Amino acid sequence: MSWSRTRHHLSSPLGVVTVALLLLLVATAVVAPLLLGDRATEIAGGALQAGPSAAHPFGTDALGRDVLTRTLVATRLSLVLALLVVGIGVACGLIIGTVPVVLGRRAGRAVVAVLNLMVAFPGLLLALFLAMIFGVGARGAVLSMAIAFAPSFARLTHTTASGVANADYVSAARLLRVPRWRILIRHVIPNISEPLVINATSQVGAALLSISALSYIGFGVQPPQYDWGRMLADGLPAIYTNPAAALAPSIMIVVAGLAFVLAGELLTQVLGGSQHGHLRLPSLRSQRRDMAPAETPPPGEEVLRIERLTVTVPGETAPFSPVVDVSMRLRRGEIVGLVGESGSGKSLTAMAVAQLTSYPNVAEADVHQIKGNELRRMRPRDRERLLGTSLAMVFQDPMSSLNPTLKVGRQLAEVAETHERLGRRDAWRRAVDRLSAVLITDPQARAKQYPMAFSGGMRQRASIAMGLMAQPALIVADEPTTALDVTVQKEVLGLLRRISRESDAAVLMISHDIAVVAENASRVLVMYAGRVVEELPVSGLAEAAHPYTRALIASIPDMSTDRSRPLANIPGRPPHASDLPPGCAFAPRCGRADDRCRQARPELADSGGGGAVACWHPLLPVLESEA
Amino acid sequence: MLELRDIVVRYGHNQGAVTAVDEVSLTVAAGSVVGLVGESGSGKSTLARAAVGLAPLTSGTILWKGAGLDPRGRPPLQYVFQDPYASLNPRMSVGASIAEGLPRASGRQERPARVTELLEMVRLDPGDVHKRPRQLSGGQRQRVAIARALAAEPEVLIADEITSALDVSVQGAVLNLLKEIQTRTGVGILFISHNLAVVRYIADSIAVMKSGRLVEHGTTEDVIERSAHPYTKQLLEAVPTMTMGNGRS
Ligand SMILES: Nc1ncnc2c1ncn2[C@@H]1O[C@H](COP(=O)(O)OP(=O)(O)O)[C@@H](O)[C@H]1O
Ligand code: SF4
Ligand SMILES: [Mg+2]
Repeated sequence: MSWSRTRHHLSSPLGVVTVALLLLLVATAVVAPLLLGDRATEIAGGALQAGPSAAHPFGTDALGRDVLTRTLVATRLSLVLALLVVGIGVACGLIIGTVPVVLGRRAGRAVVAVLNLMVAFPGLLLALFLAMIFGVGARGAVLSMAIAFAPSFARLTHTTASGVANADYVSAARLLRVPRWRILIRHVIPNISEPLVINATSQVGAALLSISALSYIGFGVQPPQYDWGRMLADGLPAIYTNPAAALAPSIMIVVAGLAFVLAGELLTQVLGGSQHGHLRLPSLRSQRRDMAPAETPPPGEEVLRIERLTVTVPGETAPFSPVVDVSMRLRRGEIVGLVGESGSGKSLTAMAVAQLTSYPNVAEADVHQIKGNELRRMRPRDRERLLGTSLAMVFQDPMSSLNPTLKVGRQLAEVAETHERLGRRDAWRRAVDRLSAVLITDPQARAKQYPMAFSGGMRQRASIAMGLMAQPALIVADEPTTALDVTVQKEVLGLLRRISRESDAAVLMISHDIAVVAENASRVLVMYAGRVVEELPVSGLAEAAHPYTRALIASIPDMSTDRSRPLANIPGRPPHASDLPPGCAFAPRCGRADDRCRQARPELADSGGGGAVACWHPLLPVLESEA
Repeated sequence: MLELRDIVVRYGHNQGAVTAVDEVSLTVAAGSVVGLVGESGSGKSTLARAAVGLAPLTSGTILWKGAGLDPRGRPPLQYVFQDPYASLNPRMSVGASIAEGLPRASGRQERPARVTELLEMVRLDPGDVHKRPRQLSGGQRQRVAIARALAAEPEVLIADEITSALDVSVQGAVLNLLKEIQTRTGVGILFISHNLAVVRYIADSIAVMKSGRLVEHGTTEDVIERSAHPYTKQLLEAVPTMTMGNGRS
C-alpha cells in the first residue's frame, strides 16, 4: 500500500465523504458531552414534548429536555458501545479462529464444527437469549452482542487463516522449526489482517444498529443513561405530537451506520488494491492521426497485419504503455515466434492481436488487418464474426478457455453453433472430429467427459481443438506449453505444427523459451521492454545481431553445455514498463552499451541478414569469435 | 547422509486412493548433488516433501546418518520451493525472512552480521535487507529463499524446481549460484527438475521417476549417455535444442 495510492483513494468522492463523516462523528462524540452535557439534562420547564421551535429544532422530550442536544451528546455512548461490541467480538473471533492453526489438524476440526453450528444460529436471537442471562443494562447488551458476533468473525478468520497456513512460506517456517505461536504472529496474522480489518469496520455499523435495537426494546442502556436507541424508544410514544423527537436519533443511526459501511468500502479499495476508480488516459489517437498508414495493398497471402500497436494500462499513479509500436505480418501457413522475458509485453500483444484487450487497458494500432480486412473500419458485428471464425486463441492455462461445468464435446459444439449456425448434431459430430484431430484417443467417449477428467496435456489439446472448430486462419498461442512437461510439450507443439501445415493456418507462437520457438517457428520476433528489438529467420538465430537475442540464446543450457563452466546469464533485470531509461532499454544490462545507447533509442532497421534489429552496435556475423 | 527407504505416499481412501510415491528408495550422500527428473505428477515433489515431513508417509523410513530424524532438534534438511512468489512472506523484510532460518542459539548481536554474510553469499546487495519481497524480481526472491534455507546450516538442501518459475535469462545465474555454494559449503543437494538439460548441468547422479516409481538411477554420464529405460530416452528426446529450424523442414 503506497502512500500515493492511499492519497489517490482518499481524494476520490467516496474518500472525501467517508473521511468527513467519520471526522464529524468522532468530533461530536468527543466534544458534545463536554460542551452540551449539562444542557442535555437541563429541564426546560413548561415545554414538555413540544414540537420543533427556534430554541428546540427537534423539540423537547417527555421531561422537556432538548432533543437535538441529547442526540448529539448520545453520540459518544452509542459509538463507544458499538466499538466495544466489535472490539470484543473481534478479539474472541481472532482467538477462536486462529486456534486451529496453532493446535493442529484434529483440534482444529472440532473448533470448526462448533463454529459452523454457531454461525447457523440466528445472531440476534442468540443476543436476546444472552441478554436475558446477563440481565438488562449496557454491559449485558455489549457482551451478548459481542458473543453473538464472534462466531461469524471467527469463521472468517479461520477461512482466511487456513489459506495462509498452507502457503509455502508457512511450510518454510515450519521446516525452520519456527514455534507455532510465532508462525501465527509473524506469518499468519499479518497476512489475514486486511480482510479482517475491512470486515470489522463495516461491522461497526451493524453493531450500532443492533445495540440501538436492544436499547430500544429495553434490554440495553437504562436511564438516566441514554443512547440513540433509548432516545428512539423515548420519542416513539409521542410520535404523533412530535415526530422530530424520534427522527433525530434515527437520522444519526443511519448516518453513522452508513459512515462505517463506506469506511469498509474505502478500506477495501486502499488495502485491496482496486485498479478501478478514476482513470485518465491520454488520447493517443489524436497524436496519431497525422501518421498515415503505409499503403501496400494486402496480398491474399497475408493473414495478419498489425502496424504500430501500442497498449496502454492505467498504472498506479500514471498510465504507461507496456507495449509500444509493435508491428508484424503473418502469412498463411507460417509459424512466427514471439519471445522475450516475462513482463516484456508478449501477452498484452497477443490479447491485442485477438482484440481481447479489456477495460481499463487500451490497445491502439495504425493498421490492424485480418485476412486483408481492416478491423477498425468494420461494424462490430462483422468484426466479431470475422474474429470468431478466423482467429483461435490458445492460452497457457487451458482451463481459461474450458468451462469446468460443461462436457468438453458440448463446449466445442457450441462454438460451431454460434459462429456457423450449425445444427446440434452436426456441431457435435464436428467436435468429435476435431478432438480426434488433436490426437485424443477415443474422442467419442472423451467428448462426453468434463474437462476435470482430462490431464493437463489433454486439456491443452482440447482447447486447441476448440480453436479448430471454425477453420482458423490464425492461431495465437500464448505460452501454450509452459505449464506442461517436456514430453507433453513436444506433443502439443508437434500438433500445432501439423495443424499449421495441413490447414495452412498461421501461428503466432509466444514463449519465454527461445529454444521452443527455435524448434517450431520459421521466423522470430524478440521483444524487450515492450518493443520488438529484433526480427529474424530462425536459421539466423545463431548469428543474431542484437546483443539481447544473443544473450538469451547463450543462457539456455542444453545437452552439450560444458558442465565445468558457469552458465551464461544476463545480469540485472528488465526495466519496468512504467520506468524506462531514456535510451536503449537494454543498455543497463548490455556489454556493448556506450553513451549513445544511453541517450538515444535505436529504431528497428534492416540488419542485412534478412531481418531487422534495433541496436546502435549490432553484432555482425563476421565479427563473431568462437574463442 | 539422507536415506529414503521404501517410501510410499498414498492420498485418499479405498477406490479413490492415489499412490503418489510407490516404494522409492533414494540416498543423498553428503556433498553430492542428486538430480531427480520426471514429468509433473510423477511424484518428485511428493517424495521430497515426505522427506521433510510436509507430506504424510504411508510407509517407509527416513534415515539421517543411519538413525531416525529428531523432530525437535536442529533440522539437517531444508527445502527451497518452486514458486518464489509464494514462498516468501509478503509482509516480512528480506532480512527478517533470512533471520528466521538462523539457529536460535545464535546471539542477538551476531544475527545481522550473519544475515549480511548470507546475502553476500547469494549475491544480493546487503542493502536489500529491509526490502519487501514485492520489491524484488523472481530471481532475487529465489536467492532470498535459498539464503533463508542456508541460514539453518542444513546438510542437505532440497531444491524443488527452483528455476521453473524463472526466466531462462535468470535461471543460469541461480544455477551458477547453487553450484558455487555447493562447492564452497559441501552441502548435499537433492535437485528436482523436469528439465534434463538443467539436471545434467548440476547433478552428479540422476534418478528418474515415472508414475510414482523410480525407473532409473545412475551417474549423470550413465543416465545421459547410456540410458537403460525407454522413458529416460523419451525425456532425452524431448529436451528442446537450439538446432534451429528443424521443425519446418
Ligand atoms: N492489466 C494490467 N494492468 C497493468 N499492468 C499490466 C497489466 N497486464 C500486464 N501489465 C504489465 O505489462 C507488462 C507486460 O505484461 P505481459 O504482457 O503479461 O508480459 P509477458 O506475457 O511477456 O510476460 C508487465 O510490466 C505487466 O506488469
Ligand atoms: S543499442 Fe547499445 S545498449 Fe542497446 S543493445 Fe545495442 S549496443 Fe546494447
Ligand atoms: Mg505471458
